Amino acid sequence: MSQLHLSDEILMAFADGELDAPMAAAVEQAMLTDPTVTKRVADFLRSRSLTRSALLREEALEVPAELQAAVEARIKEYETREAGPGALETSKGASAAPARRWRLGGLALAAGLAALAVAGAGYLAGRQDTPPPAGGLMAQLESPSVRDALSRTPSGQEAEVAAGRVRIISTYRLADGSVCREFRLHSTLGTADALACRGAGWTVNFALASPGTDSGYQPSGATDLIDAHLQNLGAGEPLLDSAEVQALEGAPRPPASP
Amino acid sequence: MPAAIGQELVALLPRLRRFALVLCRSPSLADDLVQGACERALANADTWEPGTRFDAWVFRILRNHWIDQLRRSKAEGMTEDVTEQKQIIGDSGEGPVLSRLLLAEVQRAIDAMPQEQREVLVLVCVEELAYREAAEVLGVPIGTVMSRLARARKRLVEMTEAA
Repeated sequence: MSQLHLSDEILMAFADGELDAPMAAAVEQAMLTDPTVTKRVADFLRSRSLTRSALLREEALEVPAELQAAVEARIKEYETREAGPGALETSKGASAAPARRWRLGGLALAAGLAALAVAGAGYLAGRQDTPPPAGGLMAQLESPSVRDALSRTPSGQEAEVAAGRVRIISTYRLADGSVCREFRLHSTLGTADALACRGAGWTVNFALASPGTDSGYQPSGATDLIDAHLQNLGAGEPLLDSAEVQALEGAPRPPASP
Repeated sequence: MPAAIGQELVALLPRLRRFALVLCRSPSLADDLVQGACERALANADTWEPGTRFDAWVFRILRNHWIDQLRRSKAEGMTEDVTEQKQIIGDSGEGPVLSRLLLAEVQRAIDAMPQEQREVLVLVCVEELAYREAAEVLGVPIGTVMSRLARARKRLVEMTEAA
């Protein structure tokens, strides 16, 4: 019997060659004296090779021609831009040219982006065929209980707020260090997708409203716009898990002056 | 001098697609996911540090993109939580397992695992990332990688042994 407590993790690490030499030696010793240890190690070796065989034999490795072509076309676009220092290209430090990065649903979205750039903060767009929503929804987006939810709620979760219900979608850190959150508010006045960024407090700097929760709501348009907006703001990847917690705990900072 | 990542990205496509398939279990979703991840990688090419693993960097982008999509689809009111989706492991009904059926069994067992187990399994056992590298891709501590991986593999062994 080995006195060592050999957890599954240790034996697995041994099977995967991830243990340091002294620990590996101890496991080898235990394997000599205890056949159950040997069996457990063998099982980890087996699960690795089974997984490998099962997933490698899949047709997964055949990349569909369409996907390949689409990605190659995007790469070509990027490389052409980088190769030719066009007149429009500003210095590297400047924020990326709007809309060049994202294949958006077409001209309508590009136009939306242009409007955004002009309107700046506080942009609230109604869907094209509906009247602009009442200011009430915008006010709700910045209400104290929504701000509170923005400070506390992890991404992927919902919070009850005075006006209704908020679902936090994701958290980003912008190039200037400020923290922004994408969220959706469902209230009696309608539904809005919004992006709020934290300076001295939370400020909604982009929102897209749809009139009612039951109307023909097309979510992809709103999320594409928010995606594009985030790209323009220099947001990287969404913050996950501990990175998100850390960002939310960080002291609110004043808006950076570029 | 933006890093020219195009060629490496193309070379990585088959593996990206495989990872995407393990994450979302749908070929058409996987293709969208790969395309979206490539866009993000190209847009953020300057954040990749040469000398670090390029594959791990793109895997992380792809996975974050997927999580983003999941959150959005939840926000859109889809009730089915794809990450929690359980598939019923069908009895193949073929009587004693033929060895060529074993791998199909393994595939089903993997498909039935929660995402946190599937993703770590593919990163370590198929993509051969070290635990530390997988931890970076997933944004979790190495101990979490190990406990999820050990759980997934024990489950796999139990399921295939019973057969």
